[in-house]
Amino acid sequence: MSASSINQEGSRRERGARPVSEIRPPSLLGINLFTNLTKLAQYRDLIWTLSIHRIKVRYKQSVLGVLWAVLQPISMMLIFTFIFSFIARMPSEGLPYAIFAYTALLPWNYFSNGVSNATNSLVSHAQFVTKVYFPREILPISYIVAAFFDFIVACILLAGFMIYYHVPLTINALYAIPIVVVVSCFALGISFLLSATQVRYRDVGVAVPLLLQVWLFATPVVYPLSAVPERWRTFYLLNPMVGIIENFRQVMLTGSAPESRSLLLSAAISVALLVGSYLYFKLSEATMADYV
Amino acid sequence: MIDLKFDNVSKKYRVYHELDAESSENLLLRLRHKLRGNWNDFWALRDVSFEVPRGEALGIIGQNGAGKSTILKLLYNITAPSKGRISINGRLAALIEVASGFHPDLTGRENVYLNGSLLGMNRREISRKLDSIVDFAGVSAFIDTPVKRYSSGMYLRLGFAIAAHLDPDILLLDEVLAVGDAEFQSKCIQRINQLREAGTTIIFVSHNLGAIENICDRVFLLRDGEIFRSGKPRYVISEYEHLLTNMPAWSSSGSNDGGVQSAAQITSVAFFNSKKRRATIFATGEEARAEVELVVHEPLEDVLIEVYFYSAFGNLHSHFSTEGEGNKVNLTPGRSVVEFICPEIPLEAASFKIEASIRRRESSFNEHIDYKHAAGINIIKGKSVHGVFHTPHTWRLKPLPLERTEDPDAFVKTAD
Repeated sequence: MSASSINQEGSRRERGARPVSEIRPPSLLGINLFTNLTKLAQYRDLIWTLSIHRIKVRYKQSVLGVLWAVLQPISMMLIFTFIFSFIARMPSEGLPYAIFAYTALLPWNYFSNGVSNATNSLVSHAQFVTKVYFPREILPISYIVAAFFDFIVACILLAGFMIYYHVPLTINALYAIPIVVVVSCFALGISFLLSATQVRYRDVGVAVPLLLQVWLFATPVVYPLSAVPERWRTFYLLNPMVGIIENFRQVMLTGSAPESRSLLLSAAISVALLVGSYLYFKLSEATMADYV
Repeated sequence: MIDLKFDNVSKKYRVYHELDAESSENLLLRLRHKLRGNWNDFWALRDVSFEVPRGEALGIIGQNGAGKSTILKLLYNITAPSKGRISINGRLAALIEVASGFHPDLTGRENVYLNGSLLGMNRREISRKLDSIVDFAGVSAFIDTPVKRYSSGMYLRLGFAIAAHLDPDILLLDEVLAVGDAEFQSKCIQRINQLREAGTTIIFVSHNLGAIENICDRVFLLRDGEIFRSGKPRYVISEYEHLLTNMPAWSSSGSNDGGVQSAAQITSVAFFNSKKRRATIFATGEEARAEVELVVHEPLEDVLIEVYFYSAFGNLHSHFSTEGEGNKVNLTPGRSVVEFICPEIPLEAASFKIEASIRRRESSFNEHIDYKHAAGINIIKGKSVHGVFHTPHTWRLKPLPLERTEDPDAFVKTAD
């Protein structure tokens, strides 16, 4: 054998049994959630590599690099502080408005950046989708992971703000972890729904920035939940981002435990949406390559 | 042991029609068009059933649109069938060119990890194979350079080298031999043979009939989404060649065999390849030989035999004649064969219509003794053509004597 031949010693042995698979026309009943999640787990290295790739590509050849992850929430905070603290007076539950807005902007930007990038992920990777097989949900997932990375970076600055404004960190801040899990589920659910639909109807990609803009103001980011009239609350809380943002700010800044009713409602809606939109995604995955 | 099984598989595509310019200006009409849809169903595959036993190399040929790529896409799970069932027993991978998935700003190394994991390798596996991949692609010196600085050849080779390092039970090959230079192609062939020897089941889709014949045990000829012929490569390929030219190996149309018997008749025009086998498909630069067979009824002195190459659009591409050779062709009654020998066929990849004629030297250009439309030939990508023709050639470096030039090294450098 010549020098250029490829040495495969050992790899056949370590591979184990041959997988048996069957491909049928797409149908909702034919989707096996367990099989799909097992397959997704097999591709975890791809999720990791693609997510790192997103982060690397974004900051390669940029001078400020990872600083961009904090510049976005900071500039939004400055704008909102200027408008709602100098021009108009917005209640901020006794907290300095800047940190009040910045804290809420962290999970909001995580959600909003993740969703807007993920929506386009299948269309912008048409060359992968039409050439190579891999679980397609990895594309939107990788954008959510990259947005999560920015979220963590921006959180470091939040710690700086808390020290500066003498806001004490309590044990209740640990509630931020389940809240972040809920917002991640919700962002994924929305991303699966929008990205799969975007493959067939490009209108989605155009509508998403508008949707997110409206959504920002339908969520207590620049104002507190208490500013919303009592009789609208039940309806208002159906927006899962309300329970997420309000509770995130509460556990980080006031040191109290989250308000369980709104948080559980957000969690229930997010999980139901995630399961439903994942099934929808897998169903449309079967013929995605024909439309993209 | 059956590795692959197609059970009455059909695949339907929806072909949408665009609105005409006038109606598309009307917003309401456009909206109605979008919502109601205006499409035709196109069946890319119809009720296709077959089985592939373990270790077999199956070739799939057919014209564009016959359904070849659809079979690969279904197997590779890129798209799902509309009807039927596909069973796959084993780990399946495709040896395809995926360099289009490279990110220009990332280095070669980073792209190997990205593309490798896209193809289903894990990081550990990629790390283990990295050196071998880089070596296979011949880009060792540039592995930490962003791939946007790569030449297009390096780019393609690296993309392909990654795919070549997959170690599947079932391998899908799609036009692999279109990538890279001859040396790289021979590496690829070597790799395919290596996998074959290891017992890998292979599905090979290609227009390169020579490669199909070399690699495959069995060949399917697809036509309009159905398996039109199946069997030994040699048999199916010759069926395909007939189908391609869409006529018998030669045709008598356009000849003057109706009324008066002429002095001579062209009875057949056929092309042969370097293996002395009848062929209608040649790669640029390949040896091609045409035999013009004649039946001569009366002695003929100083006749010209001519071969015309017409493009598919009917333009005369070139016209070769015994005229200029200084040889006098004299024919005696009986059967004769005139050979047209082309050591390296110079045509670019395209289809050509061939015509042959016999006429007296002194007669006018269109006064033929006989004239035949022969089978067309198809030229496929072979030796690279930058432009419209290939010609046999060599290169030579001649350093000039020292006293004539001030800096002889400069010339050597640029000529390299």
